[in-house]
Amino acid sequence: MPSTSQTVRVWDLPTRLFHWSLAASFLVAFITAESEKWRDIHVLAGYGLAGLIAFRVLWGFVGSRHARFADFLPTPGKVVAYLESLLAGRPRHYLGHNPAGAVAIFLLLAGGLIVAASGYATYNEIGGHLLEEVHDVAANGMMALVIIHLAGVVVSSWLHHENLVKAMITGRKQTHHENPAG
Amino acid sequence: MRTSLLIAAIFIAASGAGRAETPRDFLTRFEKEAGTAASAERGARFFTARHGGEWSCASCHTERPTQAGRHAKTDKPISALAPSANGERFTDAAKVDKWFRRNCNDTMNRACTAQEKADVIAWLLSFK
Repeated sequence: MPSTSQTVRVWDLPTRLFHWSLAASFLVAFITAESEKWRDIHVLAGYGLAGLIAFRVLWGFVGSRHARFADFLPTPGKVVAYLESLLAGRPRHYLGHNPAGAVAIFLLLAGGLIVAASGYATYNEIGGHLLEEVHDVAANGMMALVIIHLAGVVVSSWLHHENLVKAMITGRKQTHHENPAG
Repeated sequence: MRTSLLIAAIFIAASGAGRAETPRDFLTRFEKEAGTAASAERGARFFTARHGGEWSCASCHTERPTQAGRHAKTDKPISALAPSANGERFTDAAKVDKWFRRNCNDTMNRACTAQEKADVIAWLLSFK
């Protein structure tokens, strides 16, 4: 019984499974992209990634509280305010996704759809050279976002004294922080 | 007006039309880098031989590069490599560099030398 009075469930199981499966499929696809020997695995990972994103889009409407897009829809005002609080060294704490993270999530979801669609088109030779380039650029853009995301996890974990990686595994966060907005 | 110009500029840049080249340009470029003249004969041997790896160039592109090839892993058709049979080949520097990099690694486990690339292009250009 992991439930204690000091932790609260933030990420539901489907969200966590999605997160790590997406990370794995993107990593596999990225690594296998460079050689024709791995083309089968690359394509399989791409289908997996597309299916996972389709699920996540659905889950963004019907999932539990912090999985829903409405919970973390980033407005420009919220993003600016959050980045300012971050630069001041006192980032506002969110129990769910913070606005900067939310931007990265929507960009990654959109990037994943673009990379999967352009990859499918290139693999089946519809769309030609332009979509091949879109595929490369979108994949590299996603990798850049992933690196920023990882840096954000490290910085946020440090500034908020909470282990965000562990939270994405167990689904639970400590509640000793004041988080009026949740 | 400005928006449509901008969009047009993006499309031209993205399609690589601004840096269109011919197969001969690549032959010249790689010959210059190699410092020697290309040999179509050497290119033919290079293209059809294996270089320690599982595949030769011909494993996918066949020994008759005027014909469509077949992907050695997925069996999907690959359009002809010889410029006489496929006008799109060797017209875009980014694409030429990308696919030499990938395919040389797959066949030789290393990058190709400028001379190897020049030889292959010379051989491909010998098909009419």
